[in-house]
This record gives sequence, C-alpha cells and structure tokens, in this order.
Amino acid sequence: MKSINDRSQDIGPFVSQTDDAIIICRCEEITKGEIRQAIHDGMFTVNEIRRYLRAGMGLCQGQTCGKLVKNLIARELNVIPDQLDPATSRSPMRPVEMKVLGNEEVAHV
Amino acid sequence: MTRISEHPILGETEKGRRVTFFMDGKTIEGYAGEPIAVALKAAGVMVHRYTQKAHEPRGIFCAIGRCTDCVMIVDGVPNIRTCITPLVEGMKIQTQDGVSGLEVSE
Amino acid sequence: MKRYDLIVVGAGPAGLSAAIEAARCGMRVAVFDENAKPGGQLFKQIHKFFGSKEHQAKIRGYKIGETLLAEAAEAGVEVFLNATVAGIYLDKELLVQRGEVMEHFKADTIIIATGAAENMVTFEGWTLPGVIGAGAAQTMMNLYGIKPGQKVLMLGSGNVGLVVSFQLMQAGCEVVALVDAAPRVGGYGVHAAKIARCGVPFYLAHTITKAEGSNCVTGVEIAQVDDDFAPIPGTEKHFDVDTICLAVGLSPMSQLLKMAGCNMVDDPRRGGQVPQVDENGETSIPGLFAAGDVSGIEEASSAMIQGRMSGLAAAAYLGFLSEQDKDNRLADLEIALDSLHQGMFAPGSKGKTIAKTDEGIAVSQSLLKKGYLDDADLERFINRSDQTDKKSGIHPVIECTQNIPCNPCQDACTRGCIKVGKTITALPRIDAANSCTGCGMCIASCSGQAIFLVDEDYAPGYASITLPYEFLPRPQKGELGIALSRSGRPLGYAEIIDVRSAKAYDQTTLVTIKVPVEQAMTARFYQPETNAAGQ
Repeated sequence: MKSINDRSQDIGPFVSQTDDAIIICRCEEITKGEIRQAIHDGMFTVNEIRRYLRAGMGLCQGQTCGKLVKNLIARELNVIPDQLDPATSRSPMRPVEMKVLGNEEVAHV
Repeated sequence: MTRISEHPILGETEKGRRVTFFMDGKTIEGYAGEPIAVALKAAGVMVHRYTQKAHEPRGIFCAIGRCTDCVMIVDGVPNIRTCITPLVEGMKIQTQDGVSGLEVSE
Repeated sequence: MKRYDLIVVGAGPAGLSAAIEAARCGMRVAVFDENAKPGGQLFKQIHKFFGSKEHQAKIRGYKIGETLLAEAAEAGVEVFLNATVAGIYLDKELLVQRGEVMEHFKADTIIIATGAAENMVTFEGWTLPGVIGAGAAQTMMNLYGIKPGQKVLMLGSGNVGLVVSFQLMQAGCEVVALVDAAPRVGGYGVHAAKIARCGVPFYLAHTITKAEGSNCVTGVEIAQVDDDFAPIPGTEKHFDVDTICLAVGLSPMSQLLKMAGCNMVDDPRRGGQVPQVDENGETSIPGLFAAGDVSGIEEASSAMIQGRMSGLAAAAYLGFLSEQDKDNRLADLEIALDSLHQGMFAPGSKGKTIAKTDEGIAVSQSLLKKGYLDDADLERFINRSDQTDKKSGIHPVIECTQNIPCNPCQDACTRGCIKVGKTITALPRIDAANSCTGCGMCIASCSGQAIFLVDEDYAPGYASITLPYEFLPRPQKGELGIALSRSGRPLGYAEIIDVRSAKAYDQTTLVTIKVPVEQAMTARFYQPETNAAGQ
C-alpha cells in the first residue's frame, strides 16, 4: 500500500486536461482543474482540499461533491479511493443560521 | 401540462388551497403547503438562481434539501431551500444572484 | 435536556422498524427526522416490492410506509419531524435543530438510520437546471404530483434508474433513452424488460458527454465509451430533452457515525464509508447501532429487517428484552435477511459476471445489453425441460430469467401451476398438470411484471395475451391499438378483448389483447393508437 501522506512522492507535473473547466463543487464553484492543481500543490487529503479551495465548504457542506473530490485525489495520487479518508464530520451536519445555532434551549425543568 | 392530474397508481394528488404568490414581481398561482420549488416548476420556472462567481443558472437538483442548489430569496431572506420550504400565500420570491436578488426590469 | 431509552435518527424503513420493535419491548423511543414527512424514501416507491410474504413482497412501498407509521404510533413511538440532528457527542448526547431552536437530547441507546445520499457524475453542463437526481424525479412526481420534465434521458441502469424510468412513464413523461457506462444492465432484468417493451432504447457502454442549453437543458449528447470508460470520438448521439436524470448509485450517509467516533471502514461493496458493525448492527461503541443503507447500500426490504434486529438488540442491551428472547427473535430475522441476500444480485455477487442461473441455464445476454429477451433466450427459459407445460388453452408464461429473491407468484396461484420451491431465488417453473383458470392473480402479484397469460387457442388464427398494465388512460374493451414486442417494436393491430381491475390486483390492470396467433410469443405490450400515431 502506498502511503498517502508521503509528501516526497513524485506525482509528476500538472498536465491540463480538456475537461478541467467542469465544476466539481457546485456550491463554491470549484473546477476539476483547480482541484487537480491543488493536489499538485501538495494537498493530498479531502480535508486539505477543503481548506485550500473551499471545495465542500459551501452551503451543502460537501454532500454533493465529497465523493467526487475523493475520487479526483485518488486518481491524481494513483491510489484507490478507499485508501483516502473522507472529510472530518463535525457539527452542525446541515446548514444552519448563526442565530439559530446560538439559540440553545435552556434545560427543561 | 406539468402537473399530473391523475396517476395510474396514486390516483389524484391531494392539494392544498390554491393561492397566489409573487416571483420577481410577477403573480403566480400554486397550492398552499407544497414546496415553493414545485409551484415554480408548475409555472415553468427553471432558473432559481445565478451563481456568485460564474453567474451560471441553477435550479432543482436533489429536491430533498441536500444540495442547496435551488435556493432563492424568500420574503427578503436569501439561501432558502425552495424544494423543502412550504408555499405560503403572498410569499415574495426572488431569483437569487450570488446572495442578492436578481435585478429585474419591472 | 430530554432523555429517552432509545433515540433513532432517521424515520425511514430501517429507523421506523427499529423504533417499533424497541417500543414494543417497553422502551421510551424518539425518532428524529430532518424531513417534513416520515417514511424516508418509502413514500416515493410506488412499485410492488420483491421478496417473500415475510418481506411484504408484492406490496407497494408507499403502503408499507403507511403500515409502519401506524405501527409506530400504536407502539407509542414519538416521531419528531423537521428535527435535524446537527451533532452527536460523547455519552450518547444529540444536538437537534427544531425550528429556530437547538435542543439537546440524551439517550441510553442510539440507532443511526440516516440512509443514503445519491452519487453524482460530472459532464459538461451538469449544473444546468434540468439535470436532476433520480431521487428528485421521484420526489416531484410521486410526492408532489408534478412531472420532472416532458422528455427525459436516464443515466444509470441499476434498479433505481430502471424503476424511476418506469415511474417517469407512469407520470406521463417520455423517456427517450436509458444510458449506462457499464456494458451490462445493472438492475433486475425484469425491471429493464418493463421499460424496453415500452420502446425505451438502451445505450449500454455509453455516457453523457454534454448537457446542452444556456439557461436550462434543451438537449443531451451521449457517446460510446471504451474499456477505460473514455468517450470514443465519432460515436456521439444527440437527443432533444428537457431533463437529464442521474441514477448512478448511492453512498451511505454515515457522517454522524463518524462524528460519534465509531470505527469506520471504506467498503466499496457496501457503497463507501460505513461503520464496522456486528450482525445486529452494533458499532464499535456499545449501545450505538446502525441500520439500513447507512451501514451498507441494499434496499428497503432488508433495511426493515436490519432495523428490527437493531431495535431488538438495543432493547436487550438495556434489559428490556431477555437474552434468550432476543436470540430467538433475532434468529428468525436473520433467516429472513439471509434469504434476501441470495441470488445473482446478492451483496456477495457484486461485480461478478454471472454466466449461468442456479438451474444451469445460460443467462440472457440480450436482457443485459438491450433490456429484453431474444428468441434464443425464450427457447432456453420458456420451453424448459423442467416444465411440463402442455400449451393448450390458457396458461401462464413466466419471463423471469434471473435468480432473484422473490416468490409471490407461487403463493398467488391457488391451482399450484407455479412452483418456486423453498429456495426463493429459484426460477419459477410451470406445472401444467394443474390447469390454469386464467384468474390473473399471478400477473398482478409479480412485482417484476414478468408473467403473461397466453391462450393460443383463443379463436381460429388468433391468440389472447393478458398482460399487466399500469398506465393511463386504461384501455377499454373493444378498443383497437398496437401490439408491441419485447423491444417495443410495433407488431400490428391488437384488439382489447378484456380489461380487469380488482382490489386484489392493487392498481395493476389486467389487459387482454387479441393478436394473430403467430404473435402469441412475441407481443408483450399494448399501446393505444393515439400514442402510436404521435410517435
């Protein structure tokens, strides 16, 4: 098994592809080319891509593109997608307005 | 006809009261309680918003509140998922442009 | 902070089943669901389910949903709708958004039954309005009574793609083509046959290369793919459509389990990131269970059994059920679940190429590539040596050629003409020693709509064929229309000589057509002439 965190591995130069302009993250409008470039910039995990590009950080919180991004990274690193961790799961799981998130109910007596 | 008047398995769809609402200033009819997106679809509206960066059109995609592609400005509030928000009489719906309302010539 | 013995997340088939079993054991149970309506995807499932009696076979999904809701209410389950579980924390604490308020709940056991999310596929123009998920299509037409579009192209030949294509036609939409990058149909052959005989062309080993249109979809371009799934230049085809429907698989929505700290595995055979669970769905965290699609993509029938199992296990975990009672009841459920895990589409068979049925008959390649049986297939499957069909007078013809767990046809025939036997994945056999009365119950009870009653001796030179019909308008006796072949090819005029509907048929109309006797084994569908003229 190839170590995904081995940053010294050579994944070759970024070579542009004809479909690089296709949107992957619909919410933040991040393209396939941008994600592939980010991988060549050294972002090897779904979490890193999220923070680097905001792919998967929009309104839907990566529910639509999560698997697509993972598959892109796997292809670029030449590993099988199962070897990559998905993005961290944390609360809130769904989009919520700040005023609601801050409106915590006080204990029932 | 976009609405299914009679379905071979489900029969007739139960509908709420017929109400009017407003879409970018135009008056549209729909049924109270159905998702806003359904009423818009019946009225032939396909574009719900234009994206912030590329100004590309988006509409219904998942229809269950997951993908957030169908968000619009509803009664002044942006980013409302129209596929899961029930229609209320007199609602003012605006095509969303980025996070603002789309400028429409009256 | 409110406290429950059990909190279930997700009011779909698995979650409701779990809640019902647990509540019946005396537990205080709450179910949270982010949707406005309970039932998960069940209320969008308007087809008859497969399986056996114990799996509620031949009952339509939405009716199973109604039954589950009634049972949950009777058992005292509290179902909270529009209640979004935003987070899950140590010691089984949940953060739930209800309206404008965030509330905390604590449970002693938790069952996560959040189901699955649709996979996506990208192509030029895939963000255009008019490109929708198959789930969106089902939601629009089956819950809200609105057509997703007029002319639709379906991508995906798994059961979801096939079932939704049929439902689109039932809603009055035209399905212009069914496309899949795989070289073979992924779902049940009987589902494929239902849409093929309506004339829907299958494009296997094809993919969408472009959605056309500026503000919304006005067309689509597809192309054949090579062995690496890359489009082959020069093979492009264009269709005028207003809707492109994507049905390319499901992934478990397992984020809450990951957040809770359960050991997770990435298992492509189960659809992606899933929790490690024992046979009752218990995760690596004691008292925290997963049931249904969230722990591996299957279908609603197995989700309901898995839900019941985890509900009982949760009850035993807290002492609401003795270990012995638990073991006894789980043993029965395990057998029921196991019987659904058999046959060609069993989880263990995923990705394997199957050449022969359990009976040793070579599978139909035509069915896998075009969606219908060809003449050579009929020889192997219909005129089988293990059938004693004497072919005089009315008799059933069963076009069920894959080993799938399903046997309502056997129970439907009170005369014993149809035999599946104990192994419910076996192909049904016809025993003509028992004479068919033509009651039609087998037709109506076949979830795959694969049974026809044929009478070659109906009248001199003419045969009668009785077929299942689930479209509007319902044909009228005496009407003249077009007989269609298995591939949807017009064969000539057919007269409607009988139309039967009965409560026991459950919305399936039995239409009998009169065709020239040489079409007895070729005519399999009926099209009213008004439609035929329009095409």
